[in-house]
Amino acid sequence: MLNLITYFYSAPFVPGILLADVWHGKHSALEPAGTAASEIATLFWAMAVGAAVIWLSMIVLGVYCFRTHQGMHPPRLPWFIIGGGMAVPSVVLAVLLGFGLSAMPRLVGPAPEGSLRVHVTGEQWWWRVSYEHPQGLDTQRVELANEIHLPVDRAVEFVLDSADVIHSFWIPSLAGKVDTFPGRETRLVVTPTSEGVYQGICAEFCGGAHAWMEFTVVVESPEAFDAWLAEQATPSNTLHDEGATRGRTLFRQQGCGACHSIRGNVARSRVGPDLTHVGSRHSIAAGRLPNDRLSLVRWLRDPKGLKPEALMPSFAMLSDEDLESLAAYLHGLK
Amino acid sequence: MKRCFLWLLAIALALPILGFLVAASGIVPVNASGGHWAITTWLLEFSMSRSVDTHSRGIEPPPLDDQGLVIHGAVRYDIGCAPCHGRPGLEHPRIAQALLPRPPYLPKVIHEWEPRELFYITKHGVKFTGMPAWPTQHRDDEVWAMVAFLQQFPTLDEPEYRRLAAIPGHRASEAEPRVLEQTASAESASAPVLATCIRCHGPDGLGRGYDVFPVLAGQSAEYLALSLEAYRSGARPSGTMGPVVAGLDARDLELLAQHYAEQSPGPTAPPMPGDGQIERGRTIATEGLPSDRIAACSECHGPADHGLNPAYPSLAGQPMSYLISQLELFKSGVRGGGESAHLMLDVAPRLTAEQIEDVARYYSSLPPGEGSR
Repeated sequence: MLNLITYFYSAPFVPGILLADVWHGKHSALEPAGTAASEIATLFWAMAVGAAVIWLSMIVLGVYCFRTHQGMHPPRLPWFIIGGGMAVPSVVLAVLLGFGLSAMPRLVGPAPEGSLRVHVTGEQWWWRVSYEHPQGLDTQRVELANEIHLPVDRAVEFVLDSADVIHSFWIPSLAGKVDTFPGRETRLVVTPTSEGVYQGICAEFCGGAHAWMEFTVVVESPEAFDAWLAEQATPSNTLHDEGATRGRTLFRQQGCGACHSIRGNVARSRVGPDLTHVGSRHSIAAGRLPNDRLSLVRWLRDPKGLKPEALMPSFAMLSDEDLESLAAYLHGLK
Repeated sequence: MKRCFLWLLAIALALPILGFLVAASGIVPVNASGGHWAITTWLLEFSMSRSVDTHSRGIEPPPLDDQGLVIHGAVRYDIGCAPCHGRPGLEHPRIAQALLPRPPYLPKVIHEWEPRELFYITKHGVKFTGMPAWPTQHRDDEVWAMVAFLQQFPTLDEPEYRRLAAIPGHRASEAEPRVLEQTASAESASAPVLATCIRCHGPDGLGRGYDVFPVLAGQSAEYLALSLEAYRSGARPSGTMGPVVAGLDARDLELLAQHYAEQSPGPTAPPMPGDGQIERGRTIATEGLPSDRIAACSECHGPADHGLNPAYPSLAGQPMSYLISQLELFKSGVRGGGESAHLMLDVAPRLTAEQIEDVARYYSSLPPGEGSR
């Protein structure tokens, strides 16, 4: 009962709380960190100001009408009808339309020649990310999952598609959203303007675990980015720890390689996410869990419980020791 | 008119009460020894044939001429059905003759039933008779094997029946007495069981040369023990294997698993031609189909360049029909097994019938034991 009362009294504050969350969350369209997102944010503020002006004028007019008496007005006020009813809305809408249209070329224009190109495929329910090789060798893409790194102040072209249903690729802090379709490529140009870690999400309902289809976007200096991409292009690292070595043997023996790939002669299937450097990522299972050993064990034990309808089967039949070894191995793949 | 109606109503109410009083008095005989009245027999038989005909409408029989199916059905018949329905040489088993109704000797009545009707009776059993339903409702493939055998049953003479059903004493192979002797001396409890196993799987685990039976020889003892345990618990439903292993203890299962794991798988049959099917199967098995989210079989079932989990079966050299039937069972979601069997439930439903055949053909073309353990 107390809860209900608390809830009732706090209800008026809920919109404010939600708005504050949108403002300062991991993904906020109101805190732009990319050129496209800035355009959109500016457009939002212009619309908001326009809407506020119209809303305030209506309130003022309403108050004025209630407080005046009949007969106070001159019999006809054509300028008021024509001006207030036709001219002002037309001008306001025309200005907003012009403002909105003027942003379009900058939002949907092609990327400059020679821009970095990143392919992203939406899959139920994760993102397959592959970087075209820095030397332009199309056959040697650097593949990873649910994590994208970008150099600051450089235009990047995303080539988007889907493996199953319609998804929508959205990094609210950096750019607008673009739908991804099976069998069709869509493109998005992003120019991040400030370094930081941002969150991307799927913005189109795509089935059971749609809400757990997130990805991390790291914007860093061009030097740091180059070093990161070079590292991602290498095969998996050598193992020193005994638990991890055991984990590697288990990984192969349990047949994990039937779906996953770990470059460096471990596994090479492209059914599920590439795990070559899984330990270097910010989260696992497309944002479902933080990337630590305990979470890896939880995920191996009950993926369908953590993420309904996920394709990953449960490995709860393995002993705790086996699961911990697997987690140690995967977490060590930096 | 009204008076007449009231009389009818009174009789209608009194009849059930009278019936209950008669039953309660205990004077109604339930003894099988007395038999039915002729009219009761007629009514029961008439109702049964009408019911079976109506309920089996729409059941489409698969091809039933495969000799492997007939062999499977023959052994299963001899174990589970012959004690009541008889067999050539013992057409009217004495105990069953005292059942009411008396179980018919089937070669004389099979022609009265369509295959779909035989399927229905075998799968569901018949109420108010001694006829049981199939021990699981999830194995239509086994029921059809029985129907396949029943189709041929009327044509069999005694030696032929004994050969098909591999009745102990009729030697399925030269190695049989030796194996039985060895096992008998090692552990007396499992010898009679092994004598039953041999009837389908052979003493060497090669399956009597028919491709409906899996090659047990050379399979890992761990996998075989897990499978036997799953049959015993019902996790892997089977109306053939389930009843056979139901009474065994863990030690028996282990000994049987060990026996077959130690056998040599021998050479495989030459692959049947099939227009690049083997190649397509190889691609699915070794690389998977990422676009269809089909995992690569070989990472778990070989051939692979790393050690395999002994709880997973090795598929190289397994007969094609057996592989197809198991994948179909996984696809329909009723195939269980050890604690890893659920891994297949995410994979098999994604395979089309053609892909299942391709993969089965590929694995059946590999030399047995080609994996890595």
